[in-house]
Amino acid sequence: MTTGTTQMANYRQKTGMNRLGLWLFIVSDTFVFAGLFISRFYLLGTATRPEVSQWLGLAVTSILLISSFFMNRAETAIAHGDQKAFLNGTLITLVLGTLFVIGVVGVEWQVAPYGPGEDASWSLFYTMTGFHAFHVLTGLIFLAVVYRKGRKGQFSSERHWPVEAAAVYWHFIDVVWVFFYPALYLIGNPPL
Amino acid sequence: MDEKKKMAYRQGLVVFLLLAVLTIGEFFIGVVASLWWMPLLGIAFFKAFLIVRDYMHIGRLFTADEEEVFP
Repeated sequence: MTTGTTQMANYRQKTGMNRLGLWLFIVSDTFVFAGLFISRFYLLGTATRPEVSQWLGLAVTSILLISSFFMNRAETAIAHGDQKAFLNGTLITLVLGTLFVIGVVGVEWQVAPYGPGEDASWSLFYTMTGFHAFHVLTGLIFLAVVYRKGRKGQFSSERHWPVEAAAVYWHFIDVVWVFFYPALYLIGNPPL
Repeated sequence: MDEKKKMAYRQGLVVFLLLAVLTIGEFFIGVVASLWWMPLLGIAFFKAFLIVRDYMHIGRLFTADEEEVFP
């Protein structure tokens, strides 16, 4: 076995362990989000939802969904050695992720009729959206680091574990929102 | 563009279109019949399944290092 082949085998073995570690982190984080999700139904049931704009909910959800599509394209591109498409995809994901945070924290929180101190259900609404937005923010930092390293040409079709990790984390954020979106914006009617 | 790359891009696009249709569907259910929480949660679980399988590639966790597949 040549030195290059041995190095590649070691890299793949290491990537396998890293992958397992990332998924264990995701599973542990899922429990926190699941606790918040269940609390929403415990406090409001299925007949009531917070008094928020369904159109704004659809807008931010669409932005996050489109960002996931571009992140997938970016990862596919680097896995096939297409540096330019990888950088473009990552940059678009960064922009859309920033728009999502602005949509939730900068717009939704400002137009919401009540603050987090109103009652337990509003406190939970801000906790759910805030905790999720914080994850988006950390995902954006992760993506910015990956983008910077990508511009320096540090990834190739064979070696791009950081890109894969950033993509998996980003899609996890999307999965969380897939459940938060109906829970906060669609299920039940606003209180009269 | 080689065939494998084309296939991977196409798969990503198909999943995205499915997610978009499901999202619009759940929006209309939410507007018209917001008390139908079971179909809404069902759609959410299906969307999550698609993302975890096709975007997060959970299958890679169970493939041996030698047969590692790229998206």
